[in-house]
Amino acid sequence: MPDPLVIIDGIRTPFCKLGSDLARLAADELGRVAVDALLTRTGFDPGLVDEVIFGCVCQPVDAPNVARVIALRAGLPEHSTAATVHRNCASGFEAITTAAERVASGHGTVFIVGGTESMSQVPLLFPPEAAKKFAALGRARGLGAKLGALGAFRPEDFKPRIALKMGLTDPVSGLNMGETAEVVAREFGIGREAQDVFALESHRRATAARSRLAEEICPVYVTGGKAGKAGHAVTADHGPRGDETIEMLERLKPVFDRNHGSVTAGNSSQITDGAVALLVMAESRAAQLGLNPIGRLRAWAYTGCDPKRMGLGPVSAIRKLEELSGVGPREADLIEINEAFAAQVLAVTQCLGNVPMERLNVNGGAIALGHPVGATGARLTLTALKELGRRGGQRAIVSACVGGGQGSALLLEYLQP
Amino acid sequence: MKTNTESIRTAVSGTGALVWTFDRPESAANIFDEATLLELREKLNGVDRYAHGLVFMSAKPAIFIAGADIKALESLRGDALQRFIELGQEVFNAIAALEMPTVAAIHGACMGGGCELALACRRRIATPDRVTKIGLPETQLGILPAWGGSTRLPRLIGVPKALDIILGGKTLGAKSALRKGMIDDIAPKELLLEAAEEWIGAHGREPVKGRRTTFDRVETAIAKPIARRQMMEKSRGHYPALEKALEVVTRGALASVEESLILEREAVLELAATPECRNLIGVFQLTERAKKLRVPDAETHKAATISRVAVIGAGVMGAAIAQWLSARGLRVLMRDIDADRVEAGMNRIAGLYANAVKGRIMSATEARDGMDRVSPVVGETPLEMVDMVIEAAVEKMELKKDIFARLDAVAPGRALLATNTSALSITELAAGLNMPARVAGIHFFNPVHRMPLVEVISGERTSGEATATALRFAQKIGKMPVLVRDSPGFLVNRILLPYMVEAGELFANGASIEEVDAAMLDFGMPMGPLRLIDEVGLDVAEDVAATLAAAFPGHMHVPEVLGRMKRAGLLGKKSGSGFYTHGKRKAAPNPGAAAHRNPGAAPTLDRTTMQRRMALLMINEAARCLEENVVGAPEDVDFGMIMGAGFAPFRGGPLRYADTLGAAAIVEGLRMEEERSGAHFAPCALLLEMTKNERRFYANR
Repeated sequence: MPDPLVIIDGIRTPFCKLGSDLARLAADELGRVAVDALLTRTGFDPGLVDEVIFGCVCQPVDAPNVARVIALRAGLPEHSTAATVHRNCASGFEAITTAAERVASGHGTVFIVGGTESMSQVPLLFPPEAAKKFAALGRARGLGAKLGALGAFRPEDFKPRIALKMGLTDPVSGLNMGETAEVVAREFGIGREAQDVFALESHRRATAARSRLAEEICPVYVTGGKAGKAGHAVTADHGPRGDETIEMLERLKPVFDRNHGSVTAGNSSQITDGAVALLVMAESRAAQLGLNPIGRLRAWAYTGCDPKRMGLGPVSAIRKLEELSGVGPREADLIEINEAFAAQVLAVTQCLGNVPMERLNVNGGAIALGHPVGATGARLTLTALKELGRRGGQRAIVSACVGGGQGSALLLEYLQP
Repeated sequence: MKTNTESIRTAVSGTGALVWTFDRPESAANIFDEATLLELREKLNGVDRYAHGLVFMSAKPAIFIAGADIKALESLRGDALQRFIELGQEVFNAIAALEMPTVAAIHGACMGGGCELALACRRRIATPDRVTKIGLPETQLGILPAWGGSTRLPRLIGVPKALDIILGGKTLGAKSALRKGMIDDIAPKELLLEAAEEWIGAHGREPVKGRRTTFDRVETAIAKPIARRQMMEKSRGHYPALEKALEVVTRGALASVEESLILEREAVLELAATPECRNLIGVFQLTERAKKLRVPDAETHKAATISRVAVIGAGVMGAAIAQWLSARGLRVLMRDIDADRVEAGMNRIAGLYANAVKGRIMSATEARDGMDRVSPVVGETPLEMVDMVIEAAVEKMELKKDIFARLDAVAPGRALLATNTSALSITELAAGLNMPARVAGIHFFNPVHRMPLVEVISGERTSGEATATALRFAQKIGKMPVLVRDSPGFLVNRILLPYMVEAGELFANGASIEEVDAAMLDFGMPMGPLRLIDEVGLDVAEDVAATLAAAFPGHMHVPEVLGRMKRAGLLGKKSGSGFYTHGKRKAAPNPGAAAHRNPGAAPTLDRTTMQRRMALLMINEAARCLEENVVGAPEDVDFGMIMGAGFAPFRGGPLRYADTLGAAAIVEGLRMEEERSGAHFAPCALLLEMTKNERRFYANR
């Protein structure tokens, strides 16, 4: 690539499980905190940013094009632009590679990219039939018409549809994400025990890495709320459990196939709120501004696969990445394969056959840390670059499976800042 | 070629309505002086009575009509003033009497006389913009609306609401004014004239709806005592304008329009002659002076524009300053080494914004935008993007020196380094730095969101640019600045301290807490001195007293009673009790404080004597500040004390008040107390000199 994309620095909010510490913050607020912290810590002039590109899957209905809302609220000038991108679980990657494409096509040189997700705030929906009846009620004039309209309602109209559940189900294959994990678990013979052991290791690594991971985290100040209680600072990831034991994992029941399944809540990624922001730019621009990047985007690959086996996406993506760049898992110093499900990661490593397990997800993964779907790709990028710096490593492959049947993989090079 | 001196342009619109636009030549504002009223009267005399209608507008970007000419109010007396009042009433009566429909199309400040013109019109339409403000603030200047406002407003919206607006001197935005019935409609600026014309076309000929007088009687009978009680509580009888306005509005509402207008006239003539009115107009002019204040040699010292500020210290003051600045559109980086303090600071800021929304000072969106502009940081962070730093950390010289040494090294060269210290020397803080010229003091008062004063303090090496930047900054963020030379206690705390110390000693020698504080509440202070000590904290008061005693050993000392109470855990509001007990209910005098009096103490001085002693000490210290050039002019002393300590505005400030007593009387009074109680009452050299030469603090008036 003539003028590759370099990463100057990045920051993320703590990742907190659905319904916990960050539940009251909408995705635009989480994103704003991350972008504000990024600008503050780098001292970078927001006036120099051409565009903000953020991944977000469950965009808040009241903040359409959440990237733009984030940009303006974080104090970027009106003349900068913003776009929100969506490639399911790889939206965080999509934001980064889109910025690279902008640079290549001459549409800007400096970007703030990342992702944000508030899975806690995904709404409950009224069924479409009920929505029609509400509309009719709204239009009714006069007591008689209103009573008539009210009479049309039935109990099932008030049963909310859980949009989160709907969003995690692929409409083409008809399977939800966990069900696709069961498919690959069966086909590759990955048993319950192997999945639980993998999950436990993710927690162990994430817990051991707490102080290292703290370097990439900024505090989020949650204000008091209606009870008039004082607000507080959320400073650490909520997910990793230092006290997790194999027994605790074994006790859990399979969630997606109650009779014959092996995928449980414990060996799946957590449903999580969080945001990540990275300052990226064309390498030439960084040199012009006298900045020392921490990393460079060398290559990337997106591939398509069977939606029923979406978990295998990284297999084709990593292979394609190797074809494009000549760098495969054996040559990489670090590898991240997003832990959507333990079963799925293990199936991928089995397929590839060349993944050194001691270099895989070294500081834990989404099973312990959580998977705010729009942001994860950016977190994997940030965490891999920071860890390369610590180890004196040179290259990292970061990848994720993508709901709907895709794979994604990025090749990152470490640069001494 | 005759230059156009006319203030009102007349035109006819496409629909046949007369449009009269106020556009005072060579002025940013429209006001009603004699010439403008005469011009308006002449135009009304010659108006085409068969015109479709008449619309009043303004050509000024942010002002409809700002009110009567203050200079006229100040200088006219007796017959001349009466004629001026009658002229305004006559002109607005003429507007009210027009048969054709009249509309006031309001964009910008519509205050006093401007509002009275609008009230004389049949309809009032205003724009919803921030600059549009509607109100009758005359009582704040010691008079009352006398061009029909006290007559027409109650007839429009009822006596209770009218009293609220007139006595409170309230300024309303378009939405509030519409809710209260002061205006009839809101229209965007681009469509203002169109909206006026539309109404004229559709409804202009309909008869005006009146109010039933029986309803008025009942309403008035109920409203009067309530308003009187509220007013007396707040003003303690010091503001004759409030009493008079209450009388005029309630009596006038039950009389005819003509009779009510006469009441207005008589009242304003009486009030204009009062010293309270003179002093309140003086305060208004001091406020205008502060808004336009520039450093000497302003041309050579360019003030820099500030858009990003770093506040160091997330404590009470740091957080409050951060909130104020962010509410005014600045991006603020609030930083502290202590994570818990940053968290508490963010809570404090959120609380301040929540209160502002509850008090309808801003909308929820504005509060959110303000909150978005605060970037909290634990520890250090790059400061390249920061235009100014305000240090508001703990009041310890060593700690501040460390912070400034670091800032000296890392803050960008263009950044002004300001400190919010209330007690430490700016000159010493700047000593030893590579760039001392950019260090200045910007001293906010507590609570930041209510106290308008900021002391802008120049150290020995502070440059003209730094002072100019600090001054412009204070003005830009909506504070009232006073320029102060670096000196212990600066201006306000220096003058307040001997007064507060005296209050403590009076208590220690036997006076009751209620009597001491009542003495000064009677004088017109917003809060008694012992209550003030409780608010500030006995520990802080003791510290400040110690600092000043060290600097001015001749006449300042630390009252032992403070130390005794402090050691017993009575720190004031912060510990729940001091001179008062502070809890959920209203603060009450603390019986537990009596134990800390001096042994053998018994009350000996009456309220009047105590009041005189405390007031004289304030005057003496204020004179010293002038003598030592802590500030440049008596205006600065008075303005600082009114805005920073709430010194009775109707007295015009300590030095204006001193002039009413005369230097000789003050010196005599001080000498008497010096004999009774000691050298700290000795009159300062300036007062002695002024007595000898029969000088006053203010040359004129």
